[in-house]
Amino acid sequence: MKLYYAFIFIISTVVINAEIVEIKKDVPFVMVSSYGKKVKIERSSKENSHLTNTYARTSRPSPPFFIQPFEVAKGVDTYGELEVLDFIEKRRGIFVDARLRNWYEKSAIASSVNIPFKIFLKDSDKLTRILKKFAGKKGADGKWNFDKAPQILFYCNGAWCGQSPTAINALIKLGYPKSKMKYYRGGMQSWQLLGLSTIVPKGRR
Amino acid sequence: MKKIILGLLIFSIYSIAGKYDKVRISPNTSYIYVYHKGKAVKVHRIQDIKHKLVGEYTKLYRPKQYIQPVKITRKIKTIGEIELLKFMEDKSNSKQGIVIDLREKYQYLEESIPSSSNIPFGIKDKPEKLEKVLSIFGAKRDANGKLDTSEALDIAFYCDGLWSNKSAIIINKFIDLGYPINKLYYYRGGFQMWKILGLTTVSNN
Repeated sequence: MKLYYAFIFIISTVVINAEIVEIKKDVPFVMVSSYGKKVKIERSSKENSHLTNTYARTSRPSPPFFIQPFEVAKGVDTYGELEVLDFIEKRRGIFVDARLRNWYEKSAIASSVNIPFKIFLKDSDKLTRILKKFAGKKGADGKWNFDKAPQILFYCNGAWCGQSPTAINALIKLGYPKSKMKYYRGGMQSWQLLGLSTIVPKGRR
Repeated sequence: MKKIILGLLIFSIYSIAGKYDKVRISPNTSYIYVYHKGKAVKVHRIQDIKHKLVGEYTKLYRPKQYIQPVKITRKIKTIGEIELLKFMEDKSNSKQGIVIDLREKYQYLEESIPSSSNIPFGIKDKPEKLEKVLSIFGAKRDANGKLDTSEALDIAFYCDGLWSNKSAIIINKFIDLGYPINKLYYYRGGFQMWKILGLTTVSNN
């Protein structure tokens, strides 16, 4: 009996493997850590699957939504999906979802933390706490010293969303080094158009 | 009566000016004009904010269509929609540049980005045709067989999108043939991102 199940298992893996949509050649998935759990990121291997959710929408009212330039600022690298996957797999820094909390809680990319862009726009205890985490403490001149600050990779809804560019620009004003910030412009929309997995980080921050 | 006429006048001016303002391209741009096969085409975005993309370009199941890196080589400029539109206005409209659609001919005939011309990807294996294309782009061989590119056009390439390697392969081919790197642009989002942002397309049938 056990052998029978093993046989079914082997057959099904062979069949499934034949249809797997790989991220790139010979890379069927990437494992990342999200809220203490291992999460597998892969592409949809369901035949006939289409993007039908809210990210299939072509048009959002402007303002606030406009098509974003390819670059936020000179010196801030724009990333695509392969670069994002490399960043989060190797834990090269902090992966920030800059959308508002209610959006984040519906679906997000595994291993991201939610810091809504509005937090970067004005002084608050919360912003101070975040900057303290990034920078350590203020120097004698009263300015944050970001010399040892981590790399931060930002994303939001996608090419039509200005939330992560707003966060990046606000941090540039605060003195955060451009070379330590990255921008995943494709965001949730391109991520899902490629069939890449998302998670529902309900009630998390 | 005068007030009514004035009111109507203001209303009509407002409604003409605002026709493409609800869903804009960028804060200062609702539409641009580009030339497509000798005719001016107004490029704007779909104004229905409930509109969703359906069909081929929402398909998620794409075996062997690997996600492309954000850059082809360190020096080739990857561009987004804003930069491509600027390219059309500054370069295509004045015939200093050309937008090339590398998809199959039937795809191009059905629908394409305005101002683009079609060179199906299969040209990569046809050296004679490639030479011909080079001369159409203004890159001429001198008596010694050296490519003179001083008058060569700027070229922006696109294909299906993030999961298509056609642009990368052709751009590398052009580099090998001696085309100047600074005259080559890669619109990575391709036809899929163009469509999902609700930008105007043309039929070439």
